[in-house]
Amino acid sequence: MSLTSPVFFLFLIITLFVYFTVPGRYQWLVLLVASYLFYAVAGIKLIFFLLLTTVTTYFAGLLLSRWKNKTRKKWLLAAVLLFNFGLLAFLKYYNFAIAGLNLILAPAGFALPSFSLLLPLGISFYTFQSAGYLIDLYRGKYQAETNPAKFALFVSFFPQIIQGPISRFDQLAPQLTAPHALDFDQLKYGIQLMLWGYFKKIIIADRAVVVVNTVLDNFTSHSGSIIAFAVFFYCLQIYCDFSGGIDIVRGTAQMLGINLRENFRRPYFATSLADFWRRWHISLGDWMRDYLFFPLSLAKPFYKLGKRTRKLFPGKLGKIIPTSLASFIVFFTIGIWHGANLKYIAFGIYNGLLISFAIVIEPYMKNFLQKVQINPQGRFWQIIQIISTNFLVFIGRYFTRAASLGAALQMLKKTFFFFQASAINSGALLDLGLTKLDYLLVLCGSLIILGVGFAQEKGTSIRKTLEQKNWAFQWALVMVTLFVLVVFGIYRQGFIASEFIYQQF
Amino acid sequence: MSSKQWLLMFLASVLLIALLICAFNYVTDPFGVFGDRFFQWYAFNFTKNPRVAKIAYLDRHHRQYDSYIIGSSASSSFSVELLNAYMDARFFNLFMYGAYIADVTKTVQYIVDHYEVKNLVLNLGVVNAYKYDKDANLLTDILHARTEGSSLWQFYGKYLFANPSYGLEKIRSFRRDGYLPQTFDVFQVATGAYDKSLRDIERIQDLDGYYEKYPVFLNYPKYEYKLHHIDDFIHSVAAIKKLCEEKHINLLVIFFPLYYEYSRFFDPEQVEEVYTRLAEITPFWDFSLHPLNTDPRFFYDETHFRNALGDMALAKIFGDETKYIPQDFGVYVTPANAREQAAKYKAQYNLDDSAYTVKVPILLYHHLADETGPLIISKEQFAAHMKALAENGYTAVSLQQLVDYVEKGVELPPKPVVITFDDGYASNYEIAYPILKKYNLKATIFPIVSLVGKDTYKDTAQAIYPHFNYEQAREMVASGLIEIQSHSYDMHQHKAFEGETAREAMEPLAGEKEEAFIAALRTDFARSRQELEAQIGKPVFALAYPLGKYSDLTEVILSQMGVKVTLSTEPGINTLIKGLPQSLRALKRINVDENTSADELLQILSR
Repeated sequence: MSLTSPVFFLFLIITLFVYFTVPGRYQWLVLLVASYLFYAVAGIKLIFFLLLTTVTTYFAGLLLSRWKNKTRKKWLLAAVLLFNFGLLAFLKYYNFAIAGLNLILAPAGFALPSFSLLLPLGISFYTFQSAGYLIDLYRGKYQAETNPAKFALFVSFFPQIIQGPISRFDQLAPQLTAPHALDFDQLKYGIQLMLWGYFKKIIIADRAVVVVNTVLDNFTSHSGSIIAFAVFFYCLQIYCDFSGGIDIVRGTAQMLGINLRENFRRPYFATSLADFWRRWHISLGDWMRDYLFFPLSLAKPFYKLGKRTRKLFPGKLGKIIPTSLASFIVFFTIGIWHGANLKYIAFGIYNGLLISFAIVIEPYMKNFLQKVQINPQGRFWQIIQIISTNFLVFIGRYFTRAASLGAALQMLKKTFFFFQASAINSGALLDLGLTKLDYLLVLCGSLIILGVGFAQEKGTSIRKTLEQKNWAFQWALVMVTLFVLVVFGIYRQGFIASEFIYQQF
Repeated sequence: MSSKQWLLMFLASVLLIALLICAFNYVTDPFGVFGDRFFQWYAFNFTKNPRVAKIAYLDRHHRQYDSYIIGSSASSSFSVELLNAYMDARFFNLFMYGAYIADVTKTVQYIVDHYEVKNLVLNLGVVNAYKYDKDANLLTDILHARTEGSSLWQFYGKYLFANPSYGLEKIRSFRRDGYLPQTFDVFQVATGAYDKSLRDIERIQDLDGYYEKYPVFLNYPKYEYKLHHIDDFIHSVAAIKKLCEEKHINLLVIFFPLYYEYSRFFDPEQVEEVYTRLAEITPFWDFSLHPLNTDPRFFYDETHFRNALGDMALAKIFGDETKYIPQDFGVYVTPANAREQAAKYKAQYNLDDSAYTVKVPILLYHHLADETGPLIISKEQFAAHMKALAENGYTAVSLQQLVDYVEKGVELPPKPVVITFDDGYASNYEIAYPILKKYNLKATIFPIVSLVGKDTYKDTAQAIYPHFNYEQAREMVASGLIEIQSHSYDMHQHKAFEGETAREAMEPLAGEKEEAFIAALRTDFARSRQELEAQIGKPVFALAYPLGKYSDLTEVILSQMGVKVTLSTEPGINTLIKGLPQSLRALKRINVDENTSADELLQILSR
């Protein structure tokens, strides 16, 4: 069930009611039942895959905690990870691969069957989360969960299974199983966070996507400036959609007294590309850092490579080559995780290259700034950095949004060589599926997000500030928010104007 | 504010917003489900969802009716007024969008259970065996819960929480609402039918012009409709038939006219199955195919026939011999001829309109005098024109003859031409009339009624060309050659005499409200007709537009007032079509004056 559907609200209200009615020691059971119900709605057969990962991880976890033999543990870990990631890869890429294979086999008269595989809900998230758990156990970070039901809840916890954040066992599991008394503060904050998420998702993202799809699904018939405009809207769309969704998830959990980790920290205020990726989809970035980047960097082949490059290129360059390579692999993996497509590899190279480049030029930059007497900590330089970072991110988005690498390059080509600024006019913009009111809402919404973000960057707590206002202000704010969400969000669709109704009749 | 208070406030706000939405939807009631207490605008509600709004309307108004016609939107072209006259009944057109017989069956069951039903006209087509039940879930296409027998709570809940855009649209449309139907109010409430006032006055003449206006007929789509629901269809009709027998309801089943190319979508063998099985259950009138159905002018889109065809069909069913009915139009299908009738879906028809269309040029004259000028012709030139007509085989016909051709199919003589005079000058009587008599040519004169018999402008002393009087008019009419029809009573004023506020034509004055203009138009024409009929004793059924200026609105108003023929001053030769009254609207006229030689005139006519 979608986070924006009425069924979800009903489900949430019932869950909350039962959750806070039963004795504290049974609350986690309520969550488990709710989570599996939630999952069953998405497709009862798909529970099989969830159970498969849960069961294999649970038993592997028990063994990893019990065994002392490092080699055995290593093999077990590798086997279970391979199995679960293999399952993920199979479900995600099977048809893709089969289609390719069949093209090759077709002349020989062979054809492999393709299955209409529905990707199990949240398979990426629970697979990553389970893998993290196993690796931590392998590293001896904590003891395995012995209660299979409690472990099942850790894997399936319903608000987060859809789109993360990817939690760590030692942070989440204790919260899930602890009793939670009804806490009005938590309820309030949860609702507020959800409202904020809905605002981003249904007011901004759902509008921006219209422009994005209209233009970029058919980019050849648009000028460079319109394409750039649409890619800008795409940046807006994915941020609002993803971070909005996470806000809803975190808000839901918070109402239940469970604090999920932050997944976005105002990435549009990042001062470098590396900084951006530390603020964007944080839980995935951390996962990659802890379970892929560090192990890679410390692995023997990398160590050897580092030695060799330092010999070849004395100085900074030699040091960063292994790091950059590890970065490449991380971005490449993230790319492959998004989907099997060349454009993601290009996206990985683009980010890896720029991040490495930034490390290389850092000392020269420092010298330069000193010479021209610019304070690198000053506001001016920060703004320059923020703007240039956003620009680099913007260019990177061409790769992720385009249908293919070729399309991305063509879109870039059009943007840089056939910009045609005059093509951006009110007539053309109103032809992209949004009305004036829609644009106004997107604009105001973005400004609000920017304003809130700015205050948060400065360390202001929006919640605390609001709490201090008088009741009339707070009430007005709630009414306006609800009104905007209902009128411009919920009721945005499902209306057919008369002129389209009887046309065929 | 404590968190607990905030939560309570939040909850209250949610409820308040919900309440506001419900209240708004209740008040605007865009689907009419709550009785539309505040707007009472059923035409809008019907347009939004006829299934729901018509039942909601009838629940309150069914006592005004005792008979119903039901079916897809094609049913709208069967005139409720004619049905009332032929069957001495009070019909309501209960048609709905889309030919879903499952919905029809449920609706029939509902009205039979809840209203008085004496007659039921069931309008069907083979297409009913193609589409059967609609997977409806939109506010705009579901059935009323009372018809469906589903939960009323859920039903009203749906409409209480409907998208407020519907209500807003109703408010906005209400402000834009005018006399003519617009996309948001396409229904006539009292009859339940579409308001086709605009479709009924659009000038329809030559085929090429029609193709240009309705390009869909030039590039008609091609589909294959497999009839998957023949069983469902037959069972539904059988159920309705049984219901009618039990309740002693007079059931009339009609297969409506199909555009020829549309009929090709169906598999003839399946059609035969439909015909033979249906005929076993009930006899039915079949109008689906006839050579006339190849002519797009009797259709206004891919699947919908014009009212004119509906009128012919009803005339055929009820044996109305005063109307034009093409040969072999409509067959009463029984088991004996069902197979033969279904075979028409295989038969080839070609479009040949020579038997039911005719080209008619109309000449326009004004004043006759020796001092010629624009709109003034000399006696000699006029005489030359008339001589040329007479000697070249032209027969001048009256407007009544045109009406008879279109309405009753009475043939016109070869090479027909209509001679008309605007304004009603005395010269028409003094100069033109003798010449017309000499060549035995008919003509129609359109006097400005307020100026009849005047040689000064209305009540002023300002001299104008003298106008003939009623005595002279009566004399001309008595000859059998001359028709006198209206050129308005006083809607052809002169700025020279009246100043800037003069109404020179049938157009709203600057800043004049639509209602005021309609009232003025009605009063003016009624007065012209009343006076002409009182003075001359012949019916007034035609009007020549002052300055030739007309609009959809004037056409609709005048047609409602019984004006069968209107004349413009657009140049061109008319094509009249038997059975299509629209071919008599805003007729084109050729303006001829002193500069037109007799030879030129003949040339123009032979085009």
